[in-house]
Amino acid sequence: MSGSEPSDEILRPAWSSQFSAETLQQISSAGPIAEITREWAWGGSTGKGIRVAVIDSGIEHDHPAVGGSIRGGTIVEFDRRTKSQLRFNQDDRPADIFGHGTACAGIIHSIAPEAELYSVRVIGRDLTGKAMQFAGGLRWAIEHEMNVVNMSLSTSREEFYGLFHELADEAYFKGVLLVSAVNNIPAPSYPSLYSSVVSVAAHEGHDPFTFFYNPTPPVEFGAPGIDVNVAWLNKSYSTSTGNSFAAPHITGIVALIRSKHPDLTPFQIKTVLFACATNARPAPAVPGDAGKNPA
Amino acid sequence: MNNDPSADGRLARELRQLLVAIEATGRALLPASNLELLQTVVDAAARIFGAAAASICLVDEADQVLEFKVAYGAGKDEILGMRIPIDRGIAGYVANTGQPIAISNVQQDPRFNQEFAKSTGYVPRSILATPLIIGDRVIGVMEVLDKISAPSFGMQDMELLGVFAQQAAIAIDQSQQMDELGRAVLHGIDQLLENNGSDRPTRIRSEVEAGTEEERARRRDMLELAGLFFEISQTGEAEKQACLRILTAFREYLRSRPSFSSNE
Repeated sequence: MSGSEPSDEILRPAWSSQFSAETLQQISSAGPIAEITREWAWGGSTGKGIRVAVIDSGIEHDHPAVGGSIRGGTIVEFDRRTKSQLRFNQDDRPADIFGHGTACAGIIHSIAPEAELYSVRVIGRDLTGKAMQFAGGLRWAIEHEMNVVNMSLSTSREEFYGLFHELADEAYFKGVLLVSAVNNIPAPSYPSLYSSVVSVAAHEGHDPFTFFYNPTPPVEFGAPGIDVNVAWLNKSYSTSTGNSFAAPHITGIVALIRSKHPDLTPFQIKTVLFACATNARPAPAVPGDAGKNPA
Repeated sequence: MNNDPSADGRLARELRQLLVAIEATGRALLPASNLELLQTVVDAAARIFGAAAASICLVDEADQVLEFKVAYGAGKDEILGMRIPIDRGIAGYVANTGQPIAISNVQQDPRFNQEFAKSTGYVPRSILATPLIIGDRVIGVMEVLDKISAPSFGMQDMELLGVFAQQAAIAIDQSQQMDELGRAVLHGIDQLLENNGSDRPTRIRSEVEAGTEEERARRRDMLELAGLFFEISQTGEAEKQACLRILTAFREYLRSRPSFSSNE
Protein backbone atom coordinates (compact mmCIF):
# COMPACT_ATOMS: atom_id res chain seq x y z
CA MET A 1 0.00 0.00 0.00
CA SER A 2 1.31 3.44 -0.88
CA GLY A 3 2.30 5.63 2.03
CA SER A 4 0.88 8.67 0.25
CA GLU A 5 -2.76 7.63 0.55
CA PRO A 6 -4.89 10.04 2.54
CA SER A 7 -5.30 8.70 6.03
CA ASP A 8 -9.05 9.38 6.14
CA GLU A 9 -9.58 6.66 3.53
CA ILE A 10 -8.47 4.18 6.15
CA LEU A 11 -10.26 5.84 9.00
CA ARG A 12 -13.67 5.85 7.33
CA PRO A 13 -14.99 2.40 6.37
CA ALA A 14 -16.29 2.13 2.84
CA TRP A 15 -19.57 0.62 3.97
CA SER A 16 -20.66 3.45 6.20
CA SER A 17 -19.02 6.44 4.51
CA GLN A 18 -22.18 7.54 2.71
CA PHE A 19 -23.98 8.03 6.04
CA SER A 20 -21.35 10.17 7.78
CA ALA A 21 -22.25 13.77 8.61
CA GLU A 22 -19.80 15.10 5.97
CA THR A 23 -21.08 13.06 3.05
CA LEU A 24 -24.75 12.53 3.83
CA GLN A 25 -26.90 13.87 1.00
CA GLN A 26 -30.34 15.39 1.32
CA ILE A 27 -32.91 13.70 -0.88
CA SER A 28 -36.02 15.25 -2.34
CA SER A 29 -39.44 13.76 -2.95
CA ALA A 30 -42.02 15.15 -5.35
CA GLY A 31 -45.82 15.01 -5.61
CA PRO A 32 -47.77 12.64 -3.38
CA ILE A 33 -44.59 10.88 -2.26
CA ALA A 34 -43.52 14.10 -0.54
CA GLU A 35 -46.72 13.97 1.47
CA ILE A 36 -46.04 10.60 3.05
CA THR A 37 -45.34 11.13 6.74
CA ARG A 38 -44.03 8.81 9.40
CA GLU A 39 -47.33 9.23 11.21
CA TRP A 40 -49.18 7.94 8.15
CA ALA A 41 -46.61 5.20 7.53
CA TRP A 42 -46.43 3.57 10.95
CA GLY A 43 -48.02 5.85 13.56
CA GLY A 44 -49.77 3.68 16.18
CA SER A 45 -48.50 0.40 14.67
CA THR A 46 -47.00 -2.36 16.80
CA GLY A 47 -46.24 -4.82 14.02
CA LYS A 48 -49.24 -6.95 15.00
CA GLY A 49 -49.99 -9.82 12.64
CA ILE A 50 -46.68 -9.57 10.80
CA ARG A 51 -44.46 -12.63 10.46
CA VAL A 52 -40.74 -11.83 10.56
CA ALA A 53 -38.09 -14.44 9.82
CA VAL A 54 -34.60 -13.94 11.24
CA ILE A 55 -32.13 -15.95 9.14
CA ASP A 56 -29.14 -16.21 11.43
CA SER A 57 -27.57 -18.25 14.23
CA GLY A 58 -30.93 -18.99 15.91
CA ILE A 59 -32.85 -17.00 18.53
CA GLU A 60 -32.80 -17.62 22.28
CA HIS A 61 -36.56 -18.06 22.62
CA ASP A 62 -36.76 -17.18 26.33
CA HIS A 63 -34.50 -14.14 26.23
CA PRO A 64 -36.34 -11.19 27.82
CA ALA A 65 -35.34 -9.01 24.85
CA VAL A 66 -37.62 -11.00 22.53
CA GLY A 67 -40.45 -10.99 25.07
CA GLY A 68 -42.15 -14.23 24.09
CA SER A 69 -42.62 -13.16 20.47
CA ILE A 70 -41.09 -16.32 18.99
CA ARG A 71 -43.68 -18.37 17.10
CA GLY A 72 -41.45 -21.10 15.70
CA GLY A 73 -38.71 -21.73 13.23
CA THR A 74 -36.40 -24.20 11.61
CA ILE A 75 -32.81 -25.39 11.74
CA VAL A 76 -31.35 -25.86 8.28
CA GLU A 77 -28.52 -28.37 8.18
CA PHE A 78 -26.22 -29.51 5.43
CA ASP A 79 -26.73 -33.18 4.65
CA ARG A 80 -24.94 -34.79 1.72
CA ARG A 81 -27.22 -37.84 1.86
CA THR A 82 -30.36 -35.97 0.83
CA LYS A 83 -31.14 -34.93 -2.73
CA SER A 84 -31.32 -31.26 -1.85
CA GLN A 85 -28.28 -31.69 0.43
CA LEU A 86 -30.34 -29.98 3.13
CA ARG A 87 -32.30 -31.13 6.14
CA PHE A 88 -34.92 -28.99 7.89
CA ASN A 89 -35.65 -29.59 11.57
CA GLN A 90 -38.67 -27.88 13.04
CA ASP A 91 -37.59 -25.62 15.88
CA ASP A 92 -40.49 -24.48 18.06
CA ARG A 93 -38.38 -23.43 21.03
CA PRO A 94 -35.27 -22.18 19.27
CA ALA A 95 -31.87 -21.64 20.81
CA ASP A 96 -28.98 -19.54 19.57
CA ILE A 97 -25.44 -20.85 19.15
CA PHE A 98 -23.63 -17.51 18.88
CA GLY A 99 -25.92 -14.78 20.23
CA HIS A 100 -26.00 -12.89 16.95
CA GLY A 101 -29.50 -13.94 15.90
CA THR A 102 -30.87 -13.09 19.34
CA ALA A 103 -29.27 -9.65 19.02
CA CYS A 104 -31.08 -9.06 15.71
CA ALA A 105 -34.39 -10.44 17.01
CA GLY A 106 -34.15 -8.22 20.10
CA ILE A 107 -33.75 -5.10 17.96
CA ILE A 108 -36.76 -6.04 15.80
CA HIS A 109 -38.86 -6.77 18.88
CA SER A 110 -37.93 -3.43 20.47
CA ILE A 111 -39.32 -1.61 17.42
CA ALA A 112 -42.24 -3.89 16.50
CA PRO A 113 -43.22 -5.53 19.83
CA GLU A 114 -46.24 -7.40 18.46
CA ALA A 115 -44.57 -8.81 15.35
CA GLU A 116 -44.25 -12.62 15.33
CA LEU A 117 -40.66 -13.80 15.10
CA TYR A 118 -39.44 -17.00 13.42
CA SER A 119 -35.93 -18.34 13.92
CA VAL A 120 -34.24 -19.72 10.80
CA ARG A 121 -30.88 -21.08 11.91
CA VAL A 122 -28.54 -21.59 8.98
CA ILE A 123 -25.08 -21.56 10.51
CA GLY A 124 -23.38 -24.19 12.63
CA ARG A 125 -20.57 -26.72 12.54
CA ASP A 126 -20.17 -27.50 8.87
CA LEU A 127 -18.65 -24.69 6.84
CA THR A 128 -18.87 -26.61 3.57
CA GLY A 129 -22.58 -26.20 3.02
CA LYS A 130 -23.19 -22.86 4.66
CA ALA A 131 -24.17 -20.92 1.50
CA MET A 132 -26.60 -23.74 0.64
CA GLN A 133 -28.03 -23.67 4.16
CA PHE A 134 -28.48 -19.93 3.86
CA ALA A 135 -30.29 -20.31 0.52
CA GLY A 136 -32.38 -23.13 2.02
CA GLY A 137 -33.34 -20.90 4.94
CA LEU A 138 -34.38 -18.12 2.59
CA ARG A 139 -36.49 -20.55 0.57
CA TRP A 140 -38.12 -21.77 3.80
CA ALA A 141 -39.01 -18.17 4.73
CA ILE A 142 -40.57 -17.54 1.30
CA GLU A 143 -42.51 -20.80 1.33
CA HIS A 144 -43.79 -20.12 4.84
CA GLU A 145 -45.12 -16.73 3.70
CA MET A 146 -43.09 -14.53 5.97
CA ASN A 147 -43.90 -10.84 5.52
CA VAL A 148 -40.40 -9.62 6.26
CA VAL A 149 -37.07 -11.47 6.30
CA ASN A 150 -34.04 -10.15 8.17
CA MET A 151 -30.72 -11.32 6.78
CA SER A 152 -27.81 -9.99 8.78
CA LEU A 153 -25.58 -12.26 6.78
CA SER A 154 -24.60 -12.73 3.17
CA THR A 155 -22.42 -14.83 0.93
CA SER A 156 -19.58 -13.66 -1.26
CA ARG A 157 -19.47 -16.88 -3.28
CA GLU A 158 -19.98 -16.02 -6.93
CA GLU A 159 -21.46 -19.40 -7.78
CA PHE A 160 -24.43 -18.57 -5.56
CA TYR A 161 -25.16 -15.27 -7.29
CA GLY A 162 -27.78 -16.83 -9.57
CA LEU A 163 -29.52 -18.89 -6.91
CA PHE A 164 -29.87 -15.97 -4.52
CA HIS A 165 -31.00 -13.72 -7.34
CA GLU A 166 -33.73 -16.21 -8.24
CA LEU A 167 -34.82 -16.41 -4.60
CA ALA A 168 -34.80 -12.62 -4.22
CA ASP A 169 -37.01 -12.28 -7.31
CA GLU A 170 -39.35 -14.99 -6.04
CA ALA A 171 -39.65 -13.21 -2.69
CA TYR A 172 -40.29 -9.90 -4.40
CA PHE A 173 -43.06 -11.27 -6.61
CA LYS A 174 -44.68 -13.05 -3.66
CA GLY A 175 -44.63 -9.89 -1.56
CA VAL A 176 -42.00 -11.10 0.89
CA LEU A 177 -39.77 -8.14 1.74
CA LEU A 178 -36.08 -8.98 2.21
CA VAL A 179 -33.90 -6.78 4.39
CA SER A 180 -30.18 -7.49 4.07
CA ALA A 181 -27.13 -6.18 5.92
CA VAL A 182 -24.35 -5.03 3.63
CA ASN A 183 -21.00 -6.80 3.79
CA ASN A 184 -18.77 -5.35 6.52
CA ILE A 185 -15.70 -5.82 4.37
CA PRO A 186 -15.31 -4.02 1.04
CA ALA A 187 -16.27 -6.91 -1.25
CA PRO A 188 -19.51 -7.80 -3.06
CA SER A 189 -21.91 -10.09 -1.25
CA TYR A 190 -25.33 -11.51 -1.97
CA PRO A 191 -28.22 -10.95 -1.71
CA SER A 192 -27.52 -7.44 -0.33
CA LEU A 193 -26.57 -6.07 -3.75
CA TYR A 194 -29.85 -6.88 -5.53
CA SER A 195 -32.27 -4.05 -6.25
CA SER A 196 -35.27 -6.02 -4.98
CA VAL A 197 -33.68 -6.18 -1.54
CA VAL A 198 -33.61 -3.45 1.11
CA SER A 199 -29.87 -3.19 1.80
CA VAL A 200 -28.69 -1.60 5.03
CA ALA A 201 -25.37 -0.33 6.41
CA ALA A 202 -24.58 1.22 9.78
CA HIS A 203 -24.59 4.89 10.71
CA GLU A 204 -23.24 6.31 13.94
CA GLY A 205 -26.51 7.46 15.49
CA HIS A 206 -28.36 5.68 18.29
CA ASP A 207 -31.98 6.72 17.81
CA PRO A 208 -33.67 3.56 16.46
CA PHE A 209 -35.95 5.54 14.14
CA THR A 210 -33.22 7.66 12.58
CA PHE A 211 -32.48 6.14 9.20
CA PHE A 212 -31.12 7.57 5.96
CA TYR A 213 -31.60 6.90 2.28
CA ASN A 214 -28.46 6.82 0.14
CA PRO A 215 -29.11 8.14 -3.39
CA THR A 216 -25.95 6.43 -4.69
CA PRO A 217 -26.66 2.71 -4.15
CA PRO A 218 -26.11 -0.26 -3.98
CA VAL A 219 -26.32 0.44 -0.23
CA GLU A 220 -29.71 2.10 0.03
CA PHE A 221 -30.35 2.62 3.73
CA GLY A 222 -28.36 3.54 6.83
CA ALA A 223 -29.55 2.67 10.36
CA PRO A 224 -27.91 2.45 13.81
CA GLY A 225 -25.19 -0.23 13.88
CA ILE A 226 -22.36 1.18 15.95
CA ASP A 227 -22.08 0.43 19.65
CA VAL A 228 -25.65 -0.81 19.77
CA ASN A 229 -26.89 -2.32 23.02
CA VAL A 230 -28.14 -5.77 21.98
CA ALA A 231 -29.32 -9.03 23.49
CA TRP A 232 -26.73 -11.80 23.64
CA LEU A 233 -26.46 -15.42 24.80
CA ASN A 234 -27.78 -16.68 28.14
CA LYS A 235 -30.14 -13.76 28.69
CA SER A 236 -27.19 -11.37 28.65
CA TYR A 237 -26.64 -8.13 26.75
CA SER A 238 -23.65 -6.70 24.91
CA THR A 239 -22.56 -3.65 22.99
CA SER A 240 -21.98 -4.57 19.38
CA THR A 241 -20.89 -2.97 16.12
CA GLY A 242 -21.56 -4.06 12.54
CA ASN A 243 -23.99 -3.67 9.66
CA SER A 244 -25.64 -6.77 11.13
CA PHE A 245 -27.30 -4.59 13.75
CA ALA A 246 -28.39 -1.88 11.31
CA ALA A 247 -30.54 -4.21 9.19
CA PRO A 248 -32.92 -5.27 12.02
CA HIS A 249 -33.76 -1.62 12.73
CA ILE A 250 -35.13 -1.33 9.20
CA THR A 251 -36.76 -4.78 9.49
CA GLY A 252 -38.62 -3.55 12.60
CA ILE A 253 -39.82 -0.40 10.85
CA VAL A 254 -40.92 -2.44 7.81
CA ALA A 255 -42.93 -4.69 10.15
CA LEU A 256 -44.67 -1.61 11.53
CA ILE A 257 -45.49 -0.34 8.02
CA ARG A 258 -46.72 -3.73 6.78
CA SER A 259 -48.91 -4.16 9.83
CA LYS A 260 -50.59 -0.81 9.26
CA HIS A 261 -50.69 -1.07 5.44
CA PRO A 262 -50.91 -4.76 4.60
CA ASP A 263 -51.62 -4.14 0.91
CA LEU A 264 -48.37 -2.38 0.15
CA THR A 265 -45.99 -4.31 -2.11
CA PRO A 266 -42.23 -4.53 -1.52
CA PHE A 267 -41.42 -1.69 -3.94
CA GLN A 268 -44.13 0.49 -2.40
CA ILE A 269 -42.67 -0.14 1.04
CA LYS A 270 -39.24 0.85 -0.22
CA THR A 271 -40.81 4.07 -1.51
CA VAL A 272 -42.40 4.72 1.89
CA LEU A 273 -39.01 4.17 3.55
CA PHE A 274 -37.46 6.59 1.05
CA ALA A 275 -40.13 9.23 1.77
CA CYS A 276 -39.76 8.83 5.55
CA ALA A 277 -35.96 8.81 5.64
CA THR A 278 -34.42 11.29 8.06
CA ASN A 279 -32.54 12.98 5.21
CA ALA A 280 -35.64 13.36 2.99
CA ARG A 281 -37.41 16.64 2.34
CA PRO A 282 -40.04 17.68 -0.18
CA ALA A 283 -38.77 18.92 -3.55
CA PRO A 284 -39.04 22.61 -4.36
CA ALA A 285 -42.50 23.46 -5.71
CA VAL A 286 -41.01 25.32 -8.67
CA PRO A 287 -37.43 25.43 -9.94
CA GLY A 288 -35.40 27.80 -7.82
CA ASP A 289 -37.78 27.60 -4.89
CA ALA A 290 -35.93 26.75 -1.71
CA GLY A 291 -38.57 24.17 -0.85
CA LYS A 292 -41.59 24.28 1.37
CA ASN A 293 -40.03 22.36 4.15
CA PRO A 294 -36.29 22.80 4.12
CA ALA A 295 -34.42 20.55 6.51
CA MET B 1 8.73 -46.76 -20.93
CA ASN B 2 12.27 -46.78 -19.78
CA ASN B 3 12.84 -49.13 -16.85
CA ASP B 4 16.56 -48.53 -16.65
CA PRO B 5 17.37 -48.28 -12.90
CA SER B 6 20.24 -45.86 -13.52
CA ALA B 7 17.87 -43.58 -15.46
CA ASP B 8 15.45 -43.75 -12.53
CA GLY B 9 18.29 -42.81 -10.20
CA ARG B 10 19.06 -39.76 -12.33
CA LEU B 11 15.39 -38.81 -12.39
CA ALA B 12 15.20 -39.16 -8.60
CA ARG B 13 18.26 -36.94 -8.20
CA GLU B 14 16.84 -34.27 -10.49
CA LEU B 15 13.52 -34.36 -8.68
CA ARG B 16 15.24 -34.09 -5.35
CA GLN B 17 17.17 -31.03 -6.51
CA LEU B 18 13.96 -29.51 -7.84
CA LEU B 19 12.15 -30.06 -4.54
CA VAL B 20 14.99 -28.56 -2.54
CA ALA B 21 15.04 -25.58 -4.89
CA ILE B 22 11.29 -25.12 -4.42
CA GLU B 23 11.63 -25.32 -0.65
CA ALA B 24 14.59 -22.92 -0.61
CA THR B 25 12.74 -20.44 -2.82
CA GLY B 26 9.84 -20.57 -0.40
CA ARG B 27 12.20 -20.10 2.51
CA ALA B 28 13.86 -17.11 0.83
CA LEU B 29 10.53 -15.43 0.12
CA LEU B 30 8.70 -16.39 3.28
CA PRO B 31 9.81 -16.86 6.87
CA ALA B 32 11.23 -20.19 7.99
CA SER B 33 7.69 -20.96 8.92
CA ASN B 34 4.82 -18.71 8.03
CA LEU B 35 4.02 -18.61 11.75
CA GLU B 36 6.87 -16.15 12.12
CA LEU B 37 5.22 -13.75 9.71
CA LEU B 38 1.80 -14.28 11.31
CA GLN B 39 3.35 -13.51 14.68
CA THR B 40 4.70 -10.26 13.25
CA VAL B 41 1.25 -9.34 11.96
CA VAL B 42 -0.40 -10.11 15.31
CA ASP B 43 2.23 -8.21 17.30
CA ALA B 44 1.94 -5.19 15.01
CA ALA B 45 -1.87 -5.24 15.16
CA ALA B 46 -1.90 -5.43 18.96
CA ARG B 47 0.51 -2.50 19.24
CA ILE B 48 -1.29 -0.33 16.70
CA PHE B 49 -4.71 -0.91 18.26
CA GLY B 50 -3.36 -0.62 21.77
CA ALA B 51 -4.82 -4.04 22.57
CA ALA B 52 -4.03 -6.13 25.62
CA ALA B 53 -4.04 -9.33 23.55
CA ALA B 54 -4.35 -10.58 19.98
CA SER B 55 -4.43 -13.89 18.17
CA ILE B 56 -4.89 -15.74 14.90
CA CYS B 57 -6.68 -19.07 14.72
CA LEU B 58 -7.01 -21.16 11.57
CA VAL B 59 -9.94 -23.25 10.38
CA ASP B 60 -9.54 -27.03 10.42
CA GLU B 61 -12.50 -28.02 8.27
CA ALA B 62 -12.05 -31.76 8.70
CA ASP B 63 -12.24 -31.57 12.49
CA GLN B 64 -14.62 -28.58 12.51
CA VAL B 65 -12.41 -26.66 14.90
CA LEU B 66 -10.43 -23.46 15.06
CA GLU B 67 -6.83 -23.84 16.17
CA PHE B 68 -4.93 -20.93 17.71
CA LYS B 69 -1.63 -20.57 15.88
CA VAL B 70 -0.15 -17.31 17.11
CA ALA B 71 -0.97 -14.99 19.98
CA TYR B 72 0.20 -11.87 21.73
CA GLY B 73 -0.26 -10.57 25.26
CA ALA B 74 -2.61 -11.78 27.97
CA GLY B 75 -3.28 -15.53 27.93
CA LYS B 76 -0.79 -16.11 25.11
CA ASP B 77 0.88 -19.24 26.42
CA GLU B 78 -2.37 -20.93 27.39
CA ILE B 79 -4.16 -20.28 24.14
CA LEU B 80 -1.47 -21.37 21.67
CA GLY B 81 -2.40 -24.70 20.13
CA MET B 82 -5.88 -24.60 21.66
CA ARG B 83 -8.65 -26.02 19.46
CA ILE B 84 -12.22 -24.80 19.87
CA PRO B 85 -15.38 -26.05 18.13
CA ILE B 86 -16.25 -23.93 15.13
CA ASP B 87 -19.83 -23.41 16.33
CA ARG B 88 -18.81 -21.60 19.51
CA GLY B 89 -17.68 -18.14 20.48
CA ILE B 90 -16.99 -14.94 18.62
CA ALA B 91 -14.27 -16.54 16.50
CA GLY B 92 -16.72 -19.29 15.53
CA TYR B 93 -19.30 -16.74 14.44
CA VAL B 94 -16.74 -14.93 12.28
CA ALA B 95 -15.50 -18.19 10.72
CA ASN B 96 -19.07 -19.20 9.95
CA THR B 97 -20.26 -15.94 8.44
CA GLY B 98 -17.09 -14.36 7.05
CA GLN B 99 -18.19 -11.14 8.74
CA PRO B 100 -16.16 -9.09 11.20
CA ILE B 101 -17.78 -8.10 14.48
CA ALA B 102 -16.91 -5.78 17.36
CA ILE B 103 -18.44 -6.65 20.70
CA SER B 104 -17.95 -5.38 24.22
CA ASN B 105 -19.48 -5.15 27.63
CA VAL B 106 -20.87 -8.67 27.70
CA GLN B 107 -22.13 -9.56 31.13
CA GLN B 108 -23.37 -12.71 32.82
CA ASP B 109 -22.28 -14.96 30.00
CA PRO B 110 -19.75 -17.64 30.86
CA ARG B 111 -19.65 -18.74 27.23
CA PHE B 112 -18.47 -15.36 26.04
CA ASN B 113 -15.16 -16.00 24.39
CA GLN B 114 -14.84 -19.21 26.34
CA GLU B 115 -11.67 -20.13 24.53
CA PHE B 116 -9.82 -17.58 26.64
CA ALA B 117 -11.89 -17.72 29.79
CA LYS B 118 -11.77 -21.49 30.16
CA SER B 119 -8.05 -21.95 30.40
CA THR B 120 -6.71 -18.57 31.34
CA GLY B 121 -9.33 -17.06 33.60
CA TYR B 122 -8.91 -13.99 31.42
CA VAL B 123 -12.26 -12.66 30.28
CA PRO B 124 -11.88 -9.77 27.85
CA ARG B 125 -14.15 -6.74 28.05
CA SER B 126 -14.02 -6.01 24.34
CA ILE B 127 -13.26 -8.01 21.20
CA LEU B 128 -12.77 -7.16 17.57
CA ALA B 129 -12.70 -10.21 15.31
CA THR B 130 -12.30 -10.35 11.55
CA PRO B 131 -12.05 -13.21 9.06
CA LEU B 132 -8.93 -14.24 7.14
CA ILE B 133 -10.19 -14.76 3.62
CA ILE B 134 -8.59 -16.34 0.56
CA GLY B 135 -10.84 -15.98 -2.48
CA ASP B 136 -14.26 -16.65 -1.03
CA ARG B 137 -13.06 -19.07 1.65
CA VAL B 138 -12.65 -18.20 5.32
CA ILE B 139 -9.37 -19.80 6.43
CA GLY B 140 -9.11 -18.29 9.88
CA VAL B 141 -9.97 -15.52 12.30
CA MET B 142 -7.90 -12.69 13.71
CA GLU B 143 -8.90 -11.19 17.05
CA VAL B 144 -7.71 -8.22 19.06
CA LEU B 145 -8.89 -7.97 22.67
CA ASP B 146 -9.32 -5.14 25.15
CA LYS B 147 -8.48 -1.84 23.59
CA ILE B 148 -6.58 -0.07 26.33
CA SER B 149 -7.59 3.50 25.44
CA ALA B 150 -11.34 2.88 24.90
CA PRO B 151 -14.15 0.66 26.18
CA SER B 152 -14.77 -0.83 22.74
CA PHE B 153 -13.41 -1.16 19.22
CA GLY B 154 -15.00 1.13 16.65
CA MET B 155 -15.79 0.81 12.98
CA GLN B 156 -12.47 2.40 12.02
CA ASP B 157 -10.74 -0.35 13.98
CA MET B 158 -12.81 -2.91 12.10
CA GLU B 159 -11.70 -1.51 8.75
CA LEU B 160 -8.06 -1.33 9.82
CA LEU B 161 -7.97 -4.83 11.26
CA GLY B 162 -9.27 -5.99 7.87
CA VAL B 163 -6.03 -4.72 6.32
CA PHE B 164 -3.94 -6.73 8.79
CA ALA B 165 -6.11 -9.78 8.21
CA GLN B 166 -5.59 -9.45 4.47
CA GLN B 167 -1.80 -9.49 4.94
CA ALA B 168 -2.01 -12.53 7.21
CA ALA B 169 -4.25 -14.35 4.71
CA ILE B 170 -1.83 -13.63 1.85
CA ALA B 171 1.09 -14.95 3.93
CA ILE B 172 -0.79 -18.15 4.74
CA ASP B 173 -1.88 -18.57 1.14
CA GLN B 174 1.65 -18.16 -0.25
CA SER B 175 3.10 -20.52 2.28
CA GLN B 176 0.45 -23.15 1.57
CA GLN B 177 0.99 -22.80 -2.18
CA MET B 178 4.73 -23.32 -1.76
CA ASP B 179 4.10 -26.46 0.29
CA GLU B 180 1.70 -27.71 -2.32
CA LEU B 181 4.10 -27.11 -5.18
CA GLY B 182 6.51 -29.71 -3.83
CA ARG B 183 3.70 -32.19 -3.25
CA ALA B 184 2.38 -31.53 -6.75
CA VAL B 185 5.75 -32.41 -8.31
CA LEU B 186 5.82 -35.78 -6.52
CA HIS B 187 2.17 -36.39 -7.32
CA GLY B 188 2.82 -35.51 -10.96
CA ILE B 189 5.60 -38.05 -11.31
CA ASP B 190 3.41 -40.70 -9.68
CA GLN B 191 0.67 -39.94 -12.20
CA LEU B 192 3.08 -40.14 -15.12
CA LEU B 193 4.33 -43.55 -14.08
CA GLU B 194 1.27 -45.08 -12.51
CA ASN B 195 0.19 -47.21 -15.51
CA ASN B 196 3.53 -48.87 -15.73
CA GLY B 197 2.48 -51.83 -13.60
CA SER B 198 5.73 -51.82 -11.69
CA ASP B 199 7.02 -50.46 -8.40
CA ARG B 200 8.88 -47.67 -10.20
CA PRO B 201 6.81 -44.76 -8.78
CA THR B 202 7.31 -46.02 -5.25
CA ARG B 203 11.00 -46.68 -5.85
CA ILE B 204 11.61 -43.27 -7.37
CA ARG B 205 9.64 -41.55 -4.66
CA SER B 206 11.61 -43.29 -1.92
CA GLU B 207 14.86 -42.38 -3.67
CA VAL B 208 13.70 -38.78 -3.90
CA GLU B 209 12.80 -38.68 -0.26
CA ALA B 210 15.91 -40.48 0.99
CA GLY B 211 18.96 -38.93 -0.63
CA THR B 212 22.50 -39.36 0.68
CA GLU B 213 23.78 -37.87 3.92
CA GLU B 214 25.78 -35.41 1.83
CA GLU B 215 22.65 -34.34 -0.01
CA ARG B 216 20.73 -33.90 3.22
CA ALA B 217 23.55 -31.75 4.60
CA ARG B 218 23.57 -29.65 1.44
CA ARG B 219 19.81 -29.26 1.72
CA ARG B 220 20.15 -28.01 5.28
CA ASP B 221 22.80 -25.51 4.20
CA MET B 222 20.70 -24.30 1.32
CA LEU B 223 17.65 -23.81 3.53
CA GLU B 224 19.73 -21.98 6.10
CA LEU B 225 21.09 -19.71 3.41
CA ALA B 226 17.57 -19.05 2.12
CA GLY B 227 16.39 -18.33 5.67
CA LEU B 228 19.28 -15.91 6.23
CA PHE B 229 18.50 -14.16 2.99
CA PHE B 230 14.86 -13.79 4.05
CA GLU B 231 15.83 -12.44 7.44
CA ILE B 232 18.17 -9.87 5.92
CA SER B 233 15.68 -8.86 3.24
CA GLN B 234 13.09 -8.23 5.96
CA THR B 235 15.24 -5.42 7.37
CA GLY B 236 14.85 -3.37 4.19
CA GLU B 237 15.36 -3.14 0.44
CA ALA B 238 18.83 -1.56 0.80
CA GLU B 239 19.96 -4.39 3.09
CA LYS B 240 18.59 -6.97 0.68
CA GLN B 241 20.45 -5.40 -2.24
CA ALA B 242 23.66 -5.22 -0.18
CA CYS B 243 23.32 -8.91 0.65
CA LEU B 244 22.85 -9.77 -3.02
CA ARG B 245 25.87 -7.66 -3.99
CA ILE B 246 28.08 -9.34 -1.39
CA LEU B 247 27.03 -12.82 -2.51
CA THR B 248 27.45 -11.93 -6.19
CA ALA B 249 30.90 -10.47 -5.53
CA PHE B 250 31.88 -13.61 -3.61
CA ARG B 251 30.71 -15.79 -6.50
CA GLU B 252 32.75 -13.68 -8.96
CA TYR B 253 35.77 -14.02 -6.73
CA LEU B 254 35.35 -17.81 -6.59
CA ARG B 255 34.88 -18.00 -10.34
CA SER B 256 38.07 -16.05 -10.86
CA ARG B 257 40.03 -18.66 -8.89
CA PRO B 258 41.40 -21.44 -11.10
CA SER B 259 40.38 -24.19 -8.66
CA PHE B 260 36.69 -23.17 -8.52
CA SER B 261 34.30 -25.98 -9.25
CA SER B 262 30.80 -26.97 -8.20
CA ASN B 263 32.13 -29.98 -6.28
CA GLU B 264 34.26 -28.01 -3.88
